[in-house]
Amino acid sequence: MFRAVTTVDAALRALDELGPGAQVIAGGTDVMIQRMTGSLSKSEPLVHIGRISEMRGVSLGSESITIGALSTHRDIRTDPILAAHLPSFVQASSTVGGWQTQEVGTIGGNVCNASPAADLGAPLLMAQATLVLVSSGGERRLQAADFFLGRRQTALEFGELLTAIEVPIPAPGSWETYIKIGRRSAMEVAIVGLAARFVVDGAVSAARLAFCSVAPRPMRVPDAEVSLVGTMLEDEAIAAAGRLCASAVSPIDDQRATASYRTSVVPRLVRQAAEACRSELV
Amino acid sequence: MTAIGARSPRSDAEAKVRGLANYGVDYSETGMLHARLLRSPAAAGRITRLDVEVAGRMPGVYAVATAAEAPPHRSGLILMDTPFFADDVVRYEGEPIAMVVAESERLADDAVSSIVLEIEESTPVSDVGQALAPGAVLVHPDLETYQSVPGAAPWPRSGNAGGILTSDPEGVDGAFAAADVVVEDVYVVPRQYQAYLEPKSATASYDGHRWTIHVSHQFPHNVRTRVAQALGVELSRVRVVGEHIGGAFGARLDLGLEQFAALGASMTGRTVKLVNNRSEDLISCMSRENATIRVRSGVMKDGRIVARDFECLMDGGAYAGDTPYLTSIALLMAGSVYRVDTARVVAKSVYTNTAPTGAFRGVSGTYICFAIERHMDQLAHAIGMDRREFRLLNLFESGDAMLNGQVLDDADILSEAFDRVEEVAPWAETGTGMLRGVGIASAIWLTNPLAGSATVTLHEDGHIGVSTAATENGSGAVAMGVRQIAAGEFDVAAEDVFITLPDTDSQAYDAGSQGSRTTHVVGMAVHNAATQMKTRLFDIASGLLNLLPEDLELRGGNVCMRGDASVSVPLAEVAGAALRSGGPLSATGSYSVPLPKWDPDAADGLLFPAFPVPTYHVHLAEVEVDPVDGRVRVTRYVVAQEVGRMINPDGVYGQIQGGVAQGVGYALWEGLENVEGRYTRRTLESYGLPLAVDIPDVEMIVLEHPHEAGPFGAKGVAEPPIVPVAAAIANAVADATGANIVRLPIDPEQVLNALDMRDS
Ligand SMILES: Cc1cc2nc3c(=O)[nH]c(=O)nc-3n(C[C@H](O)[C@H](O)[C@H](O)COP(=O)(O)OP(=O)(O)OC[C@H]3O[C@@H](n4cnc5c(N)ncnc54)[C@H](O)[C@@H]3O)c2cc1C
Repeated sequence: MFRAVTTVDAALRALDELGPGAQVIAGGTDVMIQRMTGSLSKSEPLVHIGRISEMRGVSLGSESITIGALSTHRDIRTDPILAAHLPSFVQASSTVGGWQTQEVGTIGGNVCNASPAADLGAPLLMAQATLVLVSSGGERRLQAADFFLGRRQTALEFGELLTAIEVPIPAPGSWETYIKIGRRSAMEVAIVGLAARFVVDGAVSAARLAFCSVAPRPMRVPDAEVSLVGTMLEDEAIAAAGRLCASAVSPIDDQRATASYRTSVVPRLVRQAAEACRSELV
Repeated sequence: MTAIGARSPRSDAEAKVRGLANYGVDYSETGMLHARLLRSPAAAGRITRLDVEVAGRMPGVYAVATAAEAPPHRSGLILMDTPFFADDVVRYEGEPIAMVVAESERLADDAVSSIVLEIEESTPVSDVGQALAPGAVLVHPDLETYQSVPGAAPWPRSGNAGGILTSDPEGVDGAFAAADVVVEDVYVVPRQYQAYLEPKSATASYDGHRWTIHVSHQFPHNVRTRVAQALGVELSRVRVVGEHIGGAFGARLDLGLEQFAALGASMTGRTVKLVNNRSEDLISCMSRENATIRVRSGVMKDGRIVARDFECLMDGGAYAGDTPYLTSIALLMAGSVYRVDTARVVAKSVYTNTAPTGAFRGVSGTYICFAIERHMDQLAHAIGMDRREFRLLNLFESGDAMLNGQVLDDADILSEAFDRVEEVAPWAETGTGMLRGVGIASAIWLTNPLAGSATVTLHEDGHIGVSTAATENGSGAVAMGVRQIAAGEFDVAAEDVFITLPDTDSQAYDAGSQGSRTTHVVGMAVHNAATQMKTRLFDIASGLLNLLPEDLELRGGNVCMRGDASVSVPLAEVAGAALRSGGPLSATGSYSVPLPKWDPDAADGLLFPAFPVPTYHVHLAEVEVDPVDGRVRVTRYVVAQEVGRMINPDGVYGQIQGGVAQGVGYALWEGLENVEGRYTRRTLESYGLPLAVDIPDVEMIVLEHPHEAGPFGAKGVAEPPIVPVAAAIANAVADATGANIVRLPIDPEQVLNALDMRDS
C-alpha cells in the first residue's frame, strides 16, 4: 500500500492509523533499496511525505538556521544561506551519491536512516543541531548527540516525524569543513568522513571534530577538540589531536576498506582540515 | 564523395538514443513462458538431495529440468568438461543445478525457492596456488577422459591444469649466469567483470524439429555450435537471431543462457525466456581471470636483456572455457616490444572451484603487459638507467622476431609512437613534483584473423544492403566500420547503406565481434563481395552508356565514364536494368586473415600461435597521489596507436577513450576476490566501476600505416587500447611513491601503506 500525503497533520494521521509497521518514505533512496534487498519488509504500507511543502526549505533566524527535513541534498548543495554560514553541510550534501541521488534524497532521510556512513550525520553532530520531532501527541526537540543511538538506530518513535533541523549560527571567527574519503570521486559511501570546525580568535578558542564511518554512529572526539584550544594549529598540536582521534575511533573491516586503513586516514584528515583552516585564518 | 575517414554518425545511434533499439533482454513473443535457474549456493560439494516434486506441482509451472532431464554428455568451447546442469558434484557458486519454466518470472522464482536442495559441502579449491600444490584436490578427477572439440589441436593438460604452454629453449640458464644483474618480481591481479549494461538473457522457441534463439550475442554462430553441442543435435537444427547488444566486452562470446532457454522450449513446446538478474550475472559471469605472474630477467649493465623466465598462472575457474587458448598470449608477449635474447615461458590455465573465467577485451594481455612493463621499470632501476631510455635501447625494430618466431616487418612503428608521445608529453617534464609520477608502457596487439562473410546487394533505389552475421557489440565496427567500407566501395554516402542484424539461417559463418576483427575481416568480405558484384554492374552499365566496362568508374552514386562525370547513369537505374538482364545485383564475399609464419617448435601447447595484422601502442600516464587517503588521480593520459587507416575518427577515438576508461577501472578500483570460493563483492554497488568524473580526457595520437590487403588499409582498433593501461598507471604510481606496485587494483590502502613505509 502506498499513501501520499501533503501536510504534516495528514502524515501523522496516516501513521497513527496504519500502526507501527508503516514506513515513512521521503526520497526513497534508502527505503526502496532496503525493501528490495530484504532488510525492510516489502509488504508493509508506505506513507509518502515527499510532497509536504511546509517541511522543505532553509530559513535564517536570529540565532539559528532551520533546515526542513524534506530539503533535498540538491537544495542544501545550492542554498546561499548554508553556503554563507554552514559550508560543511553544503560540502556533505554535495558528496551524497551522484546528482540523481541528490535530486531526490533528503537530509531527513539521511539522518533518520542513521547509517554509520551517513554524510550529514557528522556535520549535524559537529554543529550541535537540534532535531524537531513531531507526533500526534505533540512536539519534542532532541540534540543530535541524543538522536543517534547506534547503527541504524535513532530516538525516533513510531508515529513520529522529523520535521526540521535547527542549527545554531556559528560564532564569529568560525571556519568549518566536511571532508569525505571514498574510493572514487562520487557514488561512494564514506569510508571515513570528518566534519570539523575551528573558532579562531588569534588562537583557537573552540574546536569540534565529528567523524562518520568509524563507529556505529557519528562521533565527536572531545579530548582532541580540547587539546586544540589555545593553540595556533601548530604542526605538533595537529599531530597530537590526530593521535587522540585515531585512538578514539573504533572502525570495522568491510568490503570498502579495512579498519586499519580507516584508522590511518583519521589523523591525516584532521591534519588536512586543520592545515586548511590555518592557511586561511591563523 | 568518400565515406572513408568521414565522421558519419553511427547507423544505430538514433534508435539507441531514442530507446527504439530492441535489445535481447527486450525481446518477447506472445504466450511466452519465463524460466529461472536454481544456482548452487556452495562453491564445492556433492548434491545429496534435489527434490523438485513440490516445485513441479505449483500452479503456473510448466516444466522443471535438472540433470536428469538434460542431455547427459559434457560440452565446452575447446574442452568438453561442462555438464548441462551440475549433477552429482557442484564446482562453483552460481553453477546451474535446475531450471523452472513458468507462466511468469515471479512464479518461476517462487517455484525455484521451493526446490529442496541439500549439498554436502567440501573445502573449495579457491586459488591457483592451492590448486597446483602437491596433493591438491582435483576439481576434475576425470580430466583425462574429457574430449576436446573436433578439430582442436592437442594440448597438454593434467591435474588441475586445464591447459599448459611450455617453451623451454636451450641456454636460458646459461644466459642468466652470464647476466650482470638478475631481477625477479611477482605480480598478482584480480578478476575483472565485463559489467555491460544489459544483463544476459536468451529467448528460445522450438517447432518440433528446430530451435530458434533470439539473443544479444557477439558470436551467433558460436551460439549455434555450442547449443547444438550441448543438446547433442546437428548444427543446422539451431537458428540464432541476433538482437541489439547492450555491451559485451568478450562476455558474450561463449554460451550464456541459450542452452537453458532451448531446453525449456523443447520441454514445453512454448517460447521460453530466461534473464539473469544483476547479481547472478556478476557472480556467474566469465570474467577476466585472476592471475599470478612471475618474471625474472637477466640484464647487462649496458641495458641489454639477455635472459628471461616468465611464468603465468591463470585461474580458469571450474570449467575451462577459452582459457587454454589464452595461455598462448604469454609466449606472444613475454619477448615482444623489447628484445630479450632468450626466454623460458610457462603458462597454465588452472581449475579452481570458482566461476569459470573467459574473454574480456584484451584478455590476458592486460596483465601480462602490466607485469612486463612494471618489471621493465624495475630492471631500469637495477642498472641505474632512465626507464624510457632503457625501453628505447631494447625496442623492437622492423625485422625483429617474437618468441613464436613471427617476424614483424613493421615494428619500426613502435619508435615512431614513442617519438610522437614525447612530442606532446616530454618525459623529463611530465609527472614531476611532490607525489606525482609518470609511467610509460607499450604493447603489440593482433587483429583476430577468424573467418567472416558478407552479402552485398545493390537495391533498385541505388541503396546498398549488407547482410552479415557480424555483430555490432557497441564498438561501431558494423554501424560505422563495415557500413562506411561498403559506402566507400560504391562511392555512396554512408546513409545510403543499411545492414541487417545477424541470423545464422540466412548468413554464412562469422567468428564474432572479438579481437578487433570485424572492421578488418568483414570489411574485406564486403570488399570481396563488392569486387565480384562490380563486374556485372559495370557490364550492365556499359550497355546503358555505350562504353567499355574498363572505361567506367563509380562516383557519387553513379556509374560514370572514367574522368568525365557528365557521362553517367545512376546506380538505381543500373540496379533496375539488372532485373531485366540476369537478375538482381548481389554478391557474397568471404575472408579470413592468412596467419603469419611462426615456428611450430617454439612452444608446446601453443593453441593461438601468432599475432596477425599486428598493431603498435604506446601509452603514457601521469598521476597524482593524495597524501591524505592514498587515492590515485590520473591527471594526464596519452595514447599513440597504430590503426592502419581510420574509417571513422569518432569510432577510433571513442574506442580508445573507452578502452582507457576500462583500463583505469582495472588499474585502480575493480576486482572480484573470493574467500572460500565466494566473491566478496557481489553487486555493482560494491564492485567499483570507474566513473566519468575519475576518467581523464585521453590525448590521442593516431598513427596510420595502411594495411596492404585492405579494407582501405584498416587494421583492428577497438580491443588494444585497454592493454597497456594498468601498466602505464602502475608505473606512474610507482614513480610517484617510490613503491614497487605489484598488485592490482592499486587501491588507496596499498598506496598509503607504501607512503608510510617510505616515510618511516
Ligand atoms: C545510489 C545511491 C548512492 C547513495 N550515496 C550516499 C552517500 O554518498 N552518502 C550518504 O550518506 N547516503 C547515500 N545514499 C543513501 C541515501 O540516498 C541518503 O541517505 C538520502 O539522504 C536518504 O534520503 P531519502 O529522502 O531518500 O530517504 P528515504 O529512503 O525516503 O528514507 C530513509 C529513512 O528515513 C525515514 N525517514 C525519511 N524522512 C523522514 C522524516 N522526515 N521523518 C521520519 N522518518 C523519515 C524513512 O522511513 C527511512 O527509514 C545513497 C543512496 C543511493 C541509492
